[in-house]
Amino acid sequence: MTLAVSVARRTARQALQERRVRLILLRLILVAGFLLLWQVASLGTPAFILPSPARVWGAWRNLVETPSFWTDFGITFWRIIVGFSIAAVVGAVLGIVLGASRLLGDLFEPVLVIINTVSSSIWAIFALIWFGLSNWTTIFVVFMTAMPLILTNVWQGTRTVNREYVELAQTFRMSRTKVLTKIYLPTILPLFFAGARLAFGFGARVSIVAETLGASSGIGYRLRQAADLVQTDQVFAWTLTLVALMIALESIILKPLERHLFSWRERQSA
Amino acid sequence: MSVVRLESVGKSFMRRDGEQLEVLRNIDLEVPERSIVALVGASGCGKSTLLNIIAGLVQPDQGKVLLNDVPSREFRDWRTMAYMFQEDRLFPWRTTAQNVGLGLEAFGVPRTERRERVRKVLELVGLDKFADAFPHELSGGMRSRAALGRSLVTEPAILLMDEPFSKLDPSIRSQMHDEVLRIAALKGMSVIFVTHDVEEAVVLADKIVVLHPRPGRVRETRTIALPYPRNPLSPEVAEDVRLLRLSL
Ligand SMILES: Nc1ncnc2c1ncn2[C@@H]1O[C@H](COP(=O)(O)OP(=O)(O)OP(=O)(O)O)[C@@H](O)[C@H]1O
Ligand SMILES: [Mg+2]
Repeated sequence: MTLAVSVARRTARQALQERRVRLILLRLILVAGFLLLWQVASLGTPAFILPSPARVWGAWRNLVETPSFWTDFGITFWRIIVGFSIAAVVGAVLGIVLGASRLLGDLFEPVLVIINTVSSSIWAIFALIWFGLSNWTTIFVVFMTAMPLILTNVWQGTRTVNREYVELAQTFRMSRTKVLTKIYLPTILPLFFAGARLAFGFGARVSIVAETLGASSGIGYRLRQAADLVQTDQVFAWTLTLVALMIALESIILKPLERHLFSWRERQSA
Repeated sequence: MSVVRLESVGKSFMRRDGEQLEVLRNIDLEVPERSIVALVGASGCGKSTLLNIIAGLVQPDQGKVLLNDVPSREFRDWRTMAYMFQEDRLFPWRTTAQNVGLGLEAFGVPRTERRERVRKVLELVGLDKFADAFPHELSGGMRSRAALGRSLVTEPAILLMDEPFSKLDPSIRSQMHDEVLRIAALKGMSVIFVTHDVEEAVVLADKIVVLHPRPGRVRETRTIALPYPRNPLSPEVAEDVRLLRLSL
């Protein structure tokens, strides 16, 4: 490595570091500003409408210490994961099937449109009728919300498959399964991932709605309980828990996974 | 035996407005075993279409296509044929080594053997240092060399190449010429390639087929009898280049 290159690299790294520091600072300012605003707003308001940050913090600490906190947390998490996983598998398989067959694609296109127009709350009501107060109510709602999103993305993905690549594979007389795994899958994967990420976010949010309607455990159920008892600080504490969970999932699992899977793309855009 | 033989092949494409576009008319072509044939002709005269027909990707409307004296439809040894397309068609999600090994994966060659053969070919096309690079990290010339490697790694008996060297600088181009000639002589490979470079055609080919456009027809077939290796600067080559230029 020549000196010039190493110098250039160092300044590039420095620039990156400076940007990162700046970003962290901005985030801190944002949080501080938010807390300040909240504190000020809570001063003249009764606690059952807007509890102060300190009060919510206290409520959260109490909440974490109750033994049911982790079981509620866990059960909600589990329902989301199960609903999402089934949705991912079903959505991916159906998306590929509909993309591979023009006939099936044309036949089922309206079904997808209809499913997409039905709101998650309606699915929740149906689920309540069909499954009653059980895990399956929430799982079903998560599934019905997440599956069409994943299916649509995968289906779109099959349309972006490069015909020239398939033709190249044909000159090697590559088998159909190999064409599927070596061309279709890598093409679809980024779109599948984008869809799955979106679907997970939506699924997680509607799971709470489903739980407030049709569950006797879980974060959504506790939220409704707290609201019924006008324990506003508890409602806030649960909300914070949820937000923290989603941020953690996003930055600990999804982002690194995506970066790893699509390193060939990231370098392309860099 | 001729590895490829076309008899009065014709092809039209349906244009989007419903009109028929006649691309090839009455093409006769014979490629004897171990020979190198160059296709030259103006842009749009159907050279790529002709290679697609030979590769079995496009069906001709008229005429016969024989491969190893067998009608193309009954031909079974497709894996002895390799086709280097006009575009490099490298998969962006695969490294150079993975792209080059694609054909071997299709053939079900075991991983260790695959790795060894890919390594050798990468060395041959001068990309051994870029085995782990993704296509977007390669230059245009490197990409076409990777595509050449992908065609050579399966050790074909028939190699079709569509403007294979057009993106290479002169020194690497003549290196690649030497490699292809060496492999062709060593393995008894037959080559059909398209080029716009008259000198390249004379340096490489036994036979040069000049196509005439709209619709594509064979205007002339020239035999180049000079011994290999052919020096592009020699007066014999220069004379053949001059004659060929006249007929274009
Ligand atoms: N699939 C297709 N559908 C319709 N027209 C086509 C198709 N493929 C080729 N053509 C037409 O056939 C003609 C010949 O195309 P071809 O690609 O064979 O030319 P070429 O000789 O390879 O040209 P170049 O030197 O520019 O690569 C062109 O006019 C092109 O528009
Ligand atoms: Mg062409």
